[in-house]
Amino acid sequence: MSEIDRMDERWYQRAVFYEVSVRSFFDANGDGTGDLQGLIEKLDYLSWLGVDCLWLLPFYSSPLRDGGYDIADFFTILPEYGKLGDAVRLMEEAHRRGIRIITDLVVNHTSDQHPWFQESRQSRDNPRADWYVWSDDDKQYADARIIFTDTERSNWAWDPNRQQYYWHRFFSHQPDLNYDNHEVQEAMLGIVRFWLNLGMDGFRLDAVPYLFEREGTICENLPETHQFLRRLRKEVDAAFPGRVLLAEANQWPADVVEYFGDGDECHMCFNFPLMPRMFMALRRAQRHPITEILAQTPEVPDGCQWGIFLRNHDELTLEMVTDEDRDYMWSEYAKDPRMKLNIGIRRRLAPLVENDRRVMELFHAMLFSLPGSPILYYGDEIGMGDNIFLGDRDGVRTPMQWSPDRNAGFSRADFAQLYSAPLMDPVYGYQALNVEGELRDPSSLLHWLQRMLQVRKRHPLFGIGSFEVLSAENPSVLAYVREWDDDVVLCVNNLSRFAQPVELSLQRFEGRTPIELLGRVPFPRIGELPYLLTLGPYGFLWFQIVETPLQ
Amino acid sequence: MISPTALAPQLADYLPRQRWFGAKDRKIELVRVRSSEVLIGAGDWPALLRIDADVSLEGVDDARYQLFLGLRPTGVACEFLAGHESAVLGEFETAQGQALVYDALLDSQLALGLLLVVAPDCPAERVRPLGAEQSNTSLVYDDSMILKVFRRLTEGQNPEVEVIETLASVGFGSVPEPLASWRKDGVDLAFLQRFLAGASDGWNMALTSLRELFAEYNIARTPPPADALGGGATSPLEVDDPAGARGDFAAEAERIGEVTAEMHIALAKGFGCTKVTGADWAAAMEEQLERVLGPTDAALAQGARVVINRLKDIADPGPAIRVHGDYHLGQVLRTDTGWYVTDFEGEPARSLEERTRPSSPLKDVAGMLRSFGYALAVAVSYQEDDLSELGRAWEARNREAFMAGYLRKAQFDPETGNEPILPRDPAVRSAVLAAFELDKALYEVAYERANRPDWVRIPLEAVRRLTGTAARTV
Repeated sequence: MSEIDRMDERWYQRAVFYEVSVRSFFDANGDGTGDLQGLIEKLDYLSWLGVDCLWLLPFYSSPLRDGGYDIADFFTILPEYGKLGDAVRLMEEAHRRGIRIITDLVVNHTSDQHPWFQESRQSRDNPRADWYVWSDDDKQYADARIIFTDTERSNWAWDPNRQQYYWHRFFSHQPDLNYDNHEVQEAMLGIVRFWLNLGMDGFRLDAVPYLFEREGTICENLPETHQFLRRLRKEVDAAFPGRVLLAEANQWPADVVEYFGDGDECHMCFNFPLMPRMFMALRRAQRHPITEILAQTPEVPDGCQWGIFLRNHDELTLEMVTDEDRDYMWSEYAKDPRMKLNIGIRRRLAPLVENDRRVMELFHAMLFSLPGSPILYYGDEIGMGDNIFLGDRDGVRTPMQWSPDRNAGFSRADFAQLYSAPLMDPVYGYQALNVEGELRDPSSLLHWLQRMLQVRKRHPLFGIGSFEVLSAENPSVLAYVREWDDDVVLCVNNLSRFAQPVELSLQRFEGRTPIELLGRVPFPRIGELPYLLTLGPYGFLWFQIVETPLQ
Repeated sequence: MISPTALAPQLADYLPRQRWFGAKDRKIELVRVRSSEVLIGAGDWPALLRIDADVSLEGVDDARYQLFLGLRPTGVACEFLAGHESAVLGEFETAQGQALVYDALLDSQLALGLLLVVAPDCPAERVRPLGAEQSNTSLVYDDSMILKVFRRLTEGQNPEVEVIETLASVGFGSVPEPLASWRKDGVDLAFLQRFLAGASDGWNMALTSLRELFAEYNIARTPPPADALGGGATSPLEVDDPAGARGDFAAEAERIGEVTAEMHIALAKGFGCTKVTGADWAAAMEEQLERVLGPTDAALAQGARVVINRLKDIADPGPAIRVHGDYHLGQVLRTDTGWYVTDFEGEPARSLEERTRPSSPLKDVAGMLRSFGYALAVAVSYQEDDLSELGRAWEARNREAFMAGYLRKAQFDPETGNEPILPRDPAVRSAVLAAFELDKALYEVAYERANRPDWVRIPLEAVRRLTGTAARTV
């Protein structure tokens, strides 16, 4: 356990992130809802696991009509979670353990309950009259698509008070801020400074592509938006070096890279298509869905990094992909009813892979070795399940299962008082599956994952090394080499449920020896002939390629 | 079949290309074919020819090699030669026509035929070469017999054949059973033994043990927080002591110790015991010490002299017996029926006289003890962290277990009628062993300096330890 290193300004390139919902993690005060104090009490666990940075879902005051993404006050904490002082203490305690914290910041819009909106809607000439996007009719910006097609008919909503329409790209209770107003930009920068001053290590910027509106455009990814991001980045770098901006831009990698700018906008962006591609590769028992998207993923500017994940509450949905020509796979993808189902329904990793431990390990091994910083989703480290009968995102936000005790060890409240019932089914239920049980079982997924993260931490190349896919005749095998400095790691993955052979051309490393990374087992020396490996069903191998040691 | 005069010049070109040819760096001045005999296929294809040849080398003594040459008519595809281009000698005129001549041991048909020549009573259906070997070539038949074909021939009996046959004759069961030996004019040509299918050598087993220990330790040193484990409950992952770790080797080390003692008793029985003084052994040790340490490290040399002088002063350091001579973890094989000892040819760089010279059984013991030290150093080198301290605990544990097994079996038992092979007094025994272990470590220092300078620190550390501690009792 050691303090975070403030001099390490590019920590996020090598970090392992852990996405956590404060509500669901641990209830310290026994009121049935998780809280910041609860998270503080579990920091030792997260530190043991090997997490470098927590990503907290929004914890601000909110009417909670959109899981907290509808913020009613950027400067106060949701009362169930605690007070501002708890947030400060959380940051201090985390930093003491070498763990950083970033949190969601919704820059595009606020809750309609936010005082700014309440003031703005009072009249057409109050001081904040221009802080949101108002219009007398609902005809402007007709080219902008509607994102939440299930609930919204239009991007405009009528406010009877002001007798005008207001613009909203998401729910109608989430009016878009007007970034053409200089004061709005200043206010948002003020919020950023406030949290960074308190010790926050960065933000996941929610819904960044939509900040500006321009007639005749789809109102996404506009140049003005990038201009604002550059301004934001400059402010952050000047006063708070080493803090990170992570953009949620649910777009194709080729478009998303624009949010890195020339390394002068966001430090990180999510690589959304990778995870569904991993699924498709698994379904097809072949690597091409993955290698294809990797081939289409541009290089990131110096100092930038992808955020990659297996699960996360954000999904690439089929509707977001309009240009099928870009990738023939997408049309195939849409034809597979099962894949469509998976992508539409929010599920956790374990149920998605039919609770197959081998696939969970394979997927994590790929998550930890593909280019990008891995982001774990709370509970997936123990293979937690979900409750798809809870609506929207709640199905994957059931209480963290800490022990077989009452309420899964999550809370001492009465069962009826819990914000959500813990899972109780015989397979994923907390009596069968919980942190305590897995900690006591040395062969558990949790222990395996912890060891993988220990190994990953020793090799910076997983974060910042070069990436080269090796050709292999066997289409079920995905092999790649990561290199940084004089460290070389070879990763070989079998996407098939059957054992597979593969011959790899490793001539570049002739005379050197692969050492298996988990057990440090030396394998036969690399010769001039193709290197033969055999992988078990869904097996993977990590090798460090070293100068041949003494036999 | 082929005239020796046609063959000899080709051999001068062919020999240096062969892995088993010992003097690749020397220029061949002359090859003289001593004899040539047709073993298979006189007047028929394929044919097998045994060639016995003297090779004159620039600057060193002549060497005598035997070759087994296969002959098949040119133009007929020989798949077994794919990838073995260096095994082809060339094309020659024979009475039966033009023939391709090559190393016959690659040709399954001829290799099976050779077995019938060597051991007509031991038929086989399949044959494969054993793989990477240096000085000899071995063929495995039906995974149950192994034929070691000696490439370089020496006058007098081959020590390997001699020792294994003697050990078997006195009832020592822990060597691969000798089945047949092929000898002409007092020269050993080939040796057929039971093949220990599925055996693993002690070296790889020791490395596996260390790897398991290190893995356990790596887990144990990041214990999960106690409260997440459910308060007072203890984690099952507390092992960082070799005794409690997975993959423990001590029971095997003890068995190796027992087999080693039984081997020594059998060697004493088969070859007899000679009475010597400590000074007899110390003389060669002193010579090596001065050569290795004298010029470079005065303090260490002084410490080493003390250890060797202690041996010098011992009037009765136990008998000299025939020993293994190059004893280490790589020479013992674990099978489903226990441990076996192999390779009695001695350190290959030494002369036959040196290799067969009687010595203390504690010389072999010292070799094995040093091998544990090497195993730990190699295993540590595969790890990312410096786990030497834990490795040394493993070494200490396995030395102790090996010695316990060895001493239990080597203890003089008047009822057997065997002669005692060790000095009675434990202090004398320890002093003798320390001197031999030091001598072995010094040999390693010289070897590493010449071949692997990065590894010199391993035997040097041992030299320091052996000279720093007064006559250690093991």
